[in-house]
Amino acid sequence: MMSAHDQNHHSNNANSDENTTHFGFQTVDKNEKESKVAGVFHSVAQQYDVMNDLMSFGVHRLWKRFTIDASGVRPGNKVLDLAGGTGDLTAKFSQLVGREGKVILADINSSMLNVGRDKLRDRGLVQNIEYVQANAQYLPFEDNTFDVITIAFGLRNVTDKDMALRSMYRVLKPGGRLLVLEFSKPEHDIVNKAYDFYSFNILPKMGELVANDGDSYQYLAESIRMHPDQETLKSMMDDAGFEQTSYKDLTGGVVALHKGYKF
Amino acid sequence: MQSPLSQQLMFAQALSAVVEALINQALVYNLHGTRALIALNEKTLTVKLAELGFPLNFSINAEKIHLTTGIVKSDCTLTTSIKTLIELKNQQKLTELIKQDKLDIDGDIKIAQRFAAIAETLDIDWRSELAKRIGDIPTYKIGQLGKSLAKKLSFASEQIQADTTEWLVHEKNMVVASGELSSFAQQVEQVTEQVNEVSQRIDKLITQQNNKANRE
Repeated sequence: MMSAHDQNHHSNNANSDENTTHFGFQTVDKNEKESKVAGVFHSVAQQYDVMNDLMSFGVHRLWKRFTIDASGVRPGNKVLDLAGGTGDLTAKFSQLVGREGKVILADINSSMLNVGRDKLRDRGLVQNIEYVQANAQYLPFEDNTFDVITIAFGLRNVTDKDMALRSMYRVLKPGGRLLVLEFSKPEHDIVNKAYDFYSFNILPKMGELVANDGDSYQYLAESIRMHPDQETLKSMMDDAGFEQTSYKDLTGGVVALHKGYKF
Repeated sequence: MQSPLSQQLMFAQALSAVVEALINQALVYNLHGTRALIALNEKTLTVKLAELGFPLNFSINAEKIHLTTGIVKSDCTLTTSIKTLIELKNQQKLTELIKQDKLDIDGDIKIAQRFAAIAETLDIDWRSELAKRIGDIPTYKIGQLGKSLAKKLSFASEQIQADTTEWLVHEKNMVVASGELSSFAQQVEQVTEQVNEVSQRIDKLITQQNNKANRE
């Protein structure tokens, strides 16, 4: 297992080269990351929800509820659920925005999008949801379109996060807000060590056992460590143009919810 | 930016998830269906309880109640405490509670009244719902067991109450019995009457004394 110092060092090296990025702890060509991430999610799509419940002991549902509570979404709003995957946030947003509102479930991965679409249709949620296969870096929407944009557990898989944040800023309406729910850095050392042990020793085995895919869950653990910490992500949002940016640590900082406005 | 422990543990989200699931499940079993919700579609009632550090927003959409705990634009906001909320069952007390500053209403009060009406008209045939899942005979058995348990609990409760009264009144002399209290009250009344009589006699004697002194 790599130490936090090694990981940061590794991250700095990766960031210093404009043509490379990280895929977990590996340094890969920027063009390569997208297809590698796609491979991971094509592989886990069918078992994604089961694994989420198992890995987080169901707490991911509360993290997502927290995001919805913080969104201040109202009937009639237009919401973009980016990297929306199997549609947990979209399902709730769809019910809260009502007939006059609209929710776009966007994901770069067609397998995830298909699983999400089937799940939501099975639950009878059809009237105000649209599905778009889209890359977060090049959002195919007009400027100033959305009241709320959420990206839950998706930003760390994006190749160029700064570009993606700028793209989200562009399509957000003035007065709109972006909510980024993502794994982050636990506040306390003990939690950090326990979390490391769990992520690198238990998680891949769980993935192997349930989804028959230990490598993808090894990538998940590695990608979490390579993701910017709370303060770094906050400054990235500031740099992209967001205002009044803030974040809230959840479950000891295992996850953080970042929020920023466009005025 | 360290969040408070309750927020980190997401107490509000856990509570709202459970309450929302319970309400919607109850509505599914409601004999009157979810028709009452249609009139309140896309309306939001916010309840701010003094005991909770977060608001409870009840929104209705697609014939379901959605519970959120963030800050939202609400059609009606009730600011009160759990105790007052229970007192609100008696709608005649509404004005009194507002005057006593125990309840504050902001927005359309009819929204709150309609939400309350949904709760009041909730009518669930638990037995038939249970029978659908486990069959008639087990449901009957459970019903009988429930009745018998309720009877036993009621008897046990009466027994405990009687024993406690006995212990407090006769063994520990900490509390007086109702008979003793009324006898004491009667005695106090008699003493009051006697004192009044003596007081009148004294007044009469003083008047007589004053008249005698004036004549001399």
